[in-house]
Amino acid sequence: MLGEFEYLLITATASPGDEAYGAAIREEIQKNTRRSCSIGALYTTIDRLEQKGLLRTWMGAATPERGGRSKRMVRVTSKGVAAAKDFYQAVTRISQGASWVTGRAGEVS
Amino acid sequence: MSEHTWALVEMAAGMLAPEEREAVLGDLREANENVFRALVDVFGLYLRRFGVLWSDWRPWLAGFGVALPSCYLLMGVSGSVTCTFLRLMDPSVGHWYWPTGHERVSLLLCHILLLLAWSWTAGFAVGSMSRRTVWVSVGLCLLPLSRACFPIEPLPRLCTFLFLFPAAVGILHGLQGIRLERVMWGALAVVATVLMYVAWSNQALWIYNWALIWPAWYMVASARRNAPVVQSA
Repeated sequence: MLGEFEYLLITATASPGDEAYGAAIREEIQKNTRRSCSIGALYTTIDRLEQKGLLRTWMGAATPERGGRSKRMVRVTSKGVAAAKDFYQAVTRISQGASWVTGRAGEVS
Repeated sequence: MSEHTWALVEMAAGMLAPEEREAVLGDLREANENVFRALVDVFGLYLRRFGVLWSDWRPWLAGFGVALPSCYLLMGVSGSVTCTFLRLMDPSVGHWYWPTGHERVSLLLCHILLLLAWSWTAGFAVGSMSRRTVWVSVGLCLLPLSRACFPIEPLPRLCTFLFLFPAAVGILHGLQGIRLERVMWGALAVVATVLMYVAWSNQALWIYNWALIWPAWYMVASARRNAPVVQSA
């Protein structure tokens, strides 16, 4: 089972398609979670997911807006897609009765 | 970010592996981070990477199981070999507290061979077990080296550092990923053990020096059976 940040990273990677790389994934996560995402957390998680076979990375081309530096391109593997789907379905299933999903008033003390 | 502050970030990123440095600096440039945030990101990544390295048992074993104890023991062996050599050259030289005195030329030769074998294998084990943390292992060696642990008056203090050269060569070979077949490691370990037994039988081996053989046997156990004779990483 994926962790929360691992799921966010895989989903953010899958969104831009073939153009996913470090800075774009980081921006996507920060924009959608409204939380800061450190480069350390990003790259160590990418490495961990790559070791598990859920992601594949390679060095891409250098661009002028990056000061001539290369991108580390990231792509989700089929195993990664399956793991993210499992996580999403588990979250969806477990959330079905929750008050913030059903719209029932109620507070858990 | 100005070019001056950017140079600071680039300098800090020098701690990272080349490809990672390239990607991280590009990301920071693209995101137009301020210098403080960029430095926090770079140091944060480095610390995480460093932490991951130390979550493995090998750097601990290399530093505290091989480098530190071997350095202490090999300083003693280096001093002992020097004393024996000087006494064989001139029997009138020496003091009662010198660690040796009854050895013959054959035992001196045995000690020199052991010093070379122990130093090289310890260095090799450190280099191969902890490539990216080798500087920590080397730093641990500075603890005994920085103090006069074995002051054998009136010998020059440098005589206790005879092991440094073969140990440094061993570290270099370990870092280069040079591989020996298991049978070669086995031959080296057996020969060194036999030499130690000979020295022990002649009361010319300190009991704690038996600990110096374990890196050789560790390399026997960890060597791949059909490893290429020499291969640079």
